[in-house]
Amino acid sequence: MTIVRRVWVGAKSLLIGLGVTGRHFFRKPVTLQYPHEKPDVSHWGGPIELKTFPETGTHDCIACNACTRICPSECIDIEGKRPEGSKKMRATKFALDFSTCSLCGLCVDVCPTDTLQYSQRYDESMYTRPATVNDLLKPFGEDPYLTGKLT
Amino acid sequence: MLGGARDWLAGLGLGEFGATVVLGVALIMGFLTFNVLFLIWLERKVSAHIQRRLGPMEVGPHGSLQTVADMVKLLGKQILTPVATDKFVYILAPVLVFVPTLCLASLIPISGAEAFAELPYGLVVLIALSGISVLAIFMAGWASNNKYAVLGGMRSVSQVIAYEIPILLAALSVVMIAQSMNLREIVMAQARGVPFILLQPVAGVLFFIGITAETNRAPFDIPEAESELVGGFHTEYSGMRFAMFFFAEYTNMLVLGALGATLFLGGWLGPWLPGPVWLLLKAYAVVFVMIWMRWTFPRLRFDQLMSFAWKLLIPVALVNLVITAFAVGGGR
Repeated sequence: MTIVRRVWVGAKSLLIGLGVTGRHFFRKPVTLQYPHEKPDVSHWGGPIELKTFPETGTHDCIACNACTRICPSECIDIEGKRPEGSKKMRATKFALDFSTCSLCGLCVDVCPTDTLQYSQRYDESMYTRPATVNDLLKPFGEDPYLTGKLT
Repeated sequence: MLGGARDWLAGLGLGEFGATVVLGVALIMGFLTFNVLFLIWLERKVSAHIQRRLGPMEVGPHGSLQTVADMVKLLGKQILTPVATDKFVYILAPVLVFVPTLCLASLIPISGAEAFAELPYGLVVLIALSGISVLAIFMAGWASNNKYAVLGGMRSVSQVIAYEIPILLAALSVVMIAQSMNLREIVMAQARGVPFILLQPVAGVLFFIGITAETNRAPFDIPEAESELVGGFHTEYSGMRFAMFFFAEYTNMLVLGALGATLFLGGWLGPWLPGPVWLLLKAYAVVFVMIWMRWTFPRLRFDQLMSFAWKLLIPVALVNLVITAFAVGGGR
């Protein structure tokens, strides 16, 4: 009788296995068709970027170097200049060496003007080491404070 | 339309017989090529959905032209012949693996009135021919002069020898009820009664297991077990020669599925739709289950595979055959 029992148990287990795969066959696939569909990255912290404030239409980096000092990887390099007749400095260079950045977020926390934030870029690639250095001022173009359009 | 095409071909100097052969081969080849492309696509899609993926999506709607692109790629590849091979056998094997499946496809009755070739003992010829492709597989393994290929070929031979027997015995119990070896007669016998799967459920299951093993499909795919034997018998083949093995495997699936549909599921019989459509639907249903099984079950170990056939399938098939014989004889 044992052989009959073993065949019965074995055949039953095979049918259960087919049932498992059969159920999965009708479930929704979890694949994301990447170049056509983008993932939801609203909680993603990518390389940092400068916030644009709607009141001025530009960033508010005053080149205080708080982020440079707190950065554990020393990957931020800032230079600034004081516009004529102004008390506040303006950044003329904001370079982030992303190859050493560990995305710890200390710079975002420490920024006194709250102008730093995580970006939602997640799929960047480059061929050379110098290309890993992000120029955060690049999207802003000419600075309105330094050219005297804003005071 | 077919008659016109045949007359036109006969007019080219082929004669009546030659024209029929050319037309038949062209029709079967055309359909089988389409079938292989479809089945490979189906296999990839089914496996993907079982694993909660999408499978090919880029070429054509839902990736339906992916296999066409693959075929074009294989056609364009350089044909490599390894140095140490037995050249003649090496080149002959992919051709020989393909010819029997072509013959097999022509033997299945596709409707009440049509079959490309009809023989009074069609079932015997079919089963005999299906054994030839294993010879070609062994030739491929041997001629490759590669230890994995030889192992794959040897496994294939021992497997097919073991699993041909339950296939034959299962088919024989159907033959006993139908009182004929002609495939058309077997279907007609089911038209008078019920599909034989209801009278012979054990034989149906045995037959299905047998054809799964005979087509080298998982869980019986030890001749080409990737994790143990690289590619098995087709390790040394590339390009279009490799494609021929692929072609033969998928054609075999459809043909043996159609044979199973003919023997157990009532062949071309069915309401509303024309006969060939019903036959194809049933055959593809069998093939679908085979694909489904491949993506569910792990591969058997070689000794388990052998003892499964010799110690379980064949005794069960024999007992089933004897019971059927008594039942048929008692019914007289």
